[in-house]
Amino acid sequence: MDKSLHVVLMYLLVHLGLIFFLYPNDIISSSDEGQWMPIAIGLLFHFVLVWIYMKGLSFFPKQNIIHIYSEMGKGFATFFLLPVFMYLMLVNVIGVRAYSEIITIIFLSNTPSWAIIILFLSISGYLAAKGLEVIFRTGILLALIFIPIIFFVLIATFQNVDWNYLLPLIDDDFHFMTTPSYMKSFSAFIGGFLFLGFIAPYLTYNRKKVLMAATLLIPFFVFAVYIPILTFGHGTASRFLFPYIMAVDSTYINWLMFDRVTMFFILSLVTFIMLHLSLLLWMAYQIMNHWFPHQPLYSILSFTIVTFITSIMIIDWKAVERLLWWNSFLQFYVLLTIPLSIYFIGRRRKGRA
Amino acid sequence: MRIIPLKLLITLCTVFLLSGCWDTKDINHRSLPIVMGVAMEDDQYNIHLQIPDPDTDVMQVRIVSETGETVSQAVDKLSANMESRIDLLHVKVIVIEKELAKEGVKDLISGFMRAREVSPKALVVVSDEKIEPFFSNLNNTTDPQGTTLFDFFDKDAGWSPQIALTRVWELYRSIHSTTRDVVLPIIKSGDSTVIQHLGSAVIKNGRMVERIDPEETLLVNAFYEESTHGKVEVMEEATVLIVGNTMDHKSRNIDQVPYLNSQLHLKVVLLETIGKPTDKEIRTALETQLTNRFNEMFSKIQESKADVLGLGQYFRAKIPSEELKKWRSEHYPKLKMEFEVHAVIRNEGQIKLGAD
Amino acid sequence: MDPFIKELKEKFVHSDDLFLHEEEILDVPVLLVGFKSLIDFTKTKVTLQKYIDTAISSQKTIGELLNEIGEVKEKDLEEAVSSIMTGKLLIISNSHRKYAVIEPFHNMLNRAIEPPTNENILQGSLSSFNEDIKTNIGLIRKQINASNIRAEFFSVGSEQKTKLSMLYFEGQADKKLVEKIRSSFEKNQDREINNLQNLAKSLGFSGWSVISKVNTTELPSETVAFLRKGRVALFVDRYPFALILPCFLWDMFTLENDRNYPIPLMASIRLVRIFGILISLLIPALYVALVAVNPEVLRIELALSIAQSREAIPYPALVEILLMLIILELIIEASVRLPSSIGPTITMVGGIILGQAVVEAKLVSTLLIIILAATTIANSTLVGIQNSLAVRLFKYVLVILASIYGVLGILGGIVLISAYLASIETFGISYLNLNYAKEGTKNG
Repeated sequence: MDKSLHVVLMYLLVHLGLIFFLYPNDIISSSDEGQWMPIAIGLLFHFVLVWIYMKGLSFFPKQNIIHIYSEMGKGFATFFLLPVFMYLMLVNVIGVRAYSEIITIIFLSNTPSWAIIILFLSISGYLAAKGLEVIFRTGILLALIFIPIIFFVLIATFQNVDWNYLLPLIDDDFHFMTTPSYMKSFSAFIGGFLFLGFIAPYLTYNRKKVLMAATLLIPFFVFAVYIPILTFGHGTASRFLFPYIMAVDSTYINWLMFDRVTMFFILSLVTFIMLHLSLLLWMAYQIMNHWFPHQPLYSILSFTIVTFITSIMIIDWKAVERLLWWNSFLQFYVLLTIPLSIYFIGRRRKGRA
Repeated sequence: MRIIPLKLLITLCTVFLLSGCWDTKDINHRSLPIVMGVAMEDDQYNIHLQIPDPDTDVMQVRIVSETGETVSQAVDKLSANMESRIDLLHVKVIVIEKELAKEGVKDLISGFMRAREVSPKALVVVSDEKIEPFFSNLNNTTDPQGTTLFDFFDKDAGWSPQIALTRVWELYRSIHSTTRDVVLPIIKSGDSTVIQHLGSAVIKNGRMVERIDPEETLLVNAFYEESTHGKVEVMEEATVLIVGNTMDHKSRNIDQVPYLNSQLHLKVVLLETIGKPTDKEIRTALETQLTNRFNEMFSKIQESKADVLGLGQYFRAKIPSEELKKWRSEHYPKLKMEFEVHAVIRNEGQIKLGAD
Repeated sequence: MDPFIKELKEKFVHSDDLFLHEEEILDVPVLLVGFKSLIDFTKTKVTLQKYIDTAISSQKTIGELLNEIGEVKEKDLEEAVSSIMTGKLLIISNSHRKYAVIEPFHNMLNRAIEPPTNENILQGSLSSFNEDIKTNIGLIRKQINASNIRAEFFSVGSEQKTKLSMLYFEGQADKKLVEKIRSSFEKNQDREINNLQNLAKSLGFSGWSVISKVNTTELPSETVAFLRKGRVALFVDRYPFALILPCFLWDMFTLENDRNYPIPLMASIRLVRIFGILISLLIPALYVALVAVNPEVLRIELALSIAQSREAIPYPALVEILLMLIILELIIEASVRLPSSIGPTITMVGGIILGQAVVEAKLVSTLLIIILAATTIANSTLVGIQNSLAVRLFKYVLVILASIYGVLGILGGIVLISAYLASIETFGISYLNLNYAKEGTKNG
């Protein structure tokens, strides 16, 4: 059955969750001016990789990447799937840890992070154990409830912009390409589409619609960076850990009965992140299930426990940043090799047939 | 299969019941100060907090004060001595003593931004008198809700267009910006009214360097395209009410000398006339009055090298960013400013002009 | 005496409303057996006499006569008992080894068709189902004049037989769904169905689901609308509701009767119901979160007045709200229990307790009373009592999470509830389905 709507919404939600927290800071600290260039290059990567990935997958209707690799042989499958598995687990650990830390930084300053991690993991573990279709359907409900809030806040943040900060438009040297923070920013550009290769037998989708969803994301990628810059200027924005959240915090809405709309905004995004985490857990389970067939509950329970223990062992924000930096290499490796290998396997298979 | 989640749930419940809730503190056990006064005494911060104290029948306002090495230390000391925990979450106005403002508030503001306990939307105000008498006067005249000072600056309540409005994040931005400074309102406790507005302090890099009067602040606000609606302008010929304003800017950079042409378009309504001036006379009088006032103010702030109008912003595309970092010291003093006012009398009221 | 009659008598020993009336039909001695409580004997006998008279004039034998007016069966005790139980009249002749089952005049044991008692209708057809399964199906047939309505009957239960019937639109309803329901009834032939929990069991649903998987309605007009959209309606004898399968989230907000209004009005009514669920779920949790954990979200004026109203209240917000919520649940439950003549007392006493005394005694804050009232009112806007019960339960999950994590807990709870709703499936059809009608026709 065609479930493009499910897939498209999931695609949007996963990326929205990634865009507004760490990514603005990464881009702002990677370049002093003309931030649209790093954004454009990142988006180009995003589009090319998503297109290749989907094109490659389209050679194998009703097959996910696990099936595709295992058809090529056991060693082949392990060679590709092991890094993916490691990547998924690492992203899971980092995600849980980073977002729990963000929540304690922004509010709930007295709540220990393990309590927040428990909340995160129990909700996403529950979702993951329920299976893929439940995750996607939950995505639809959450989109219905929270996307209006996100839109409202997004529009409200234009309150304090000073368009002069847009200038100068051009940054003639491309030194941002070499900064570590730009590397890290790619987790937002390319960190969210891996799931497209896992859902095949359960859900099918229209490739064009997913590309349209990716197009819809462009303004979010741009605004997440530019709203803080237009509000504070680069000099000030680069001093913030979460520039976009600061920008939201500085908006003043007279008529609303709530004072800090930031909280609703952040937390709506956090729910999207929970959804993303559950998707990661489910993908990890799929790979595990391929090696040792078993019930989802066992592996998801053990994954959450492992994630919990590892993320508690990360003591401070510095360590999180370091992990993010290490992860960006693994991420590049995984997210370049997977789409490309799928594409070439598909091409070869088609050529043979 | 069914038992595992159940067991997990029970364990979780016990954990939460045993360890309790960390951030849970009922609102009536928190003190929510609305105004915070900061002064410097012998290298120690002196903090005053105005706390509405909700009693069952009437709301009372308390003033508490403490000194400490840092603001947090002072607040912490206060918290320990009070029966409820102090939460700075709702501080709406931060009053800085003039002496401290002259010394510089960079660290203070950075601290507010970092801890995120004080909202970045809180207003920053400079007190012309000592912080202690200011607060005790405030307490004598203040309404039971304790929000007087906050209402004074609230656009929906007591704000008027000649009062500068600057929030913590704007002050922080100005400290780290190369092309922008801010003005902070200067107030003191009044005799018949609670507060007396004295004009604005020009803050450069977190330090007060100059002061301008309310009329000049109006121009600053007009420059930021804040609404100046409701301000009455008195001239020899007539008195008018401003009902609308827009700005236009043209910037050029010729031979390292920046030029800026700014045009203020005003819409006014006639209130009173003295004698029988014509439409044109009134307009010219208004235009010259505002232009002169602006030029006077501009020369003052240009001298102090504080760019409260954010003029450097208009040269972002004209001057390379490396050069722009020296905006305040090198380019700004050289700036040639042309200020023009274009007034339109939108209507003349119920009586025709020249009829009486 | 005939051993058959003896056995029959033994079976119904101490059933004093059983009558055994000796009679002669066409000069053959017969025994009329049935329940006085179920059969209008006089009327039945008059009609029987008419048949006998015509039979005499056309010179029929007794066998022919019985065949004509009823069903002649072999002497099978089990079947005879169940016929008597369902209110049939048995004519047993001593000489033949047969008996006839005759449809008699029944005592009027059914309600007349009345306006609905559980669902109020503003502008729309007012008749509602009653306990008799045939009347109900008749109402459906009357409501819609369509030849492709199918009504399949089942009889389940080992000891006590319950009549069930399944109605659907041929060509609209998903054939697979109909087949699944049919086979699950056939598989669970021996299960007795006395209540909806039994029914859910024999349909193969878990009894622990908070959200009811069958939608109930007592209005033929609603039922027909569901049928037209490809759903399946089940009727259980003596249960005056149609049970609609599958059930969807969207049913909480829609009534077919809404379509009797212009579209903008319909849309706004439905919007009100959506607000209803959001308010009744979120507001109590928001109160706990904002008062106890995240007061910075409130505007200062609001924060101060809440602080003032909570002054001198001796327990935390969570306890405060749980206390009042439970009292409120008790009031709702009590007003259901009480006969309608005493019912208003509860409302009055409850109103006095909640509105005045509790606040004046400084047990809870005034704001909380407003919140509770809003919650209860909002909760009642939902369509279907089983849905509003579920929402009432979900509310507590949010309140408890909010007391631990504040606003984060609320949103986490929303994810949890959404996930739960998303995980509900009825015969493989998701609870969140929005355009089932379209898909249904496609498959069927």
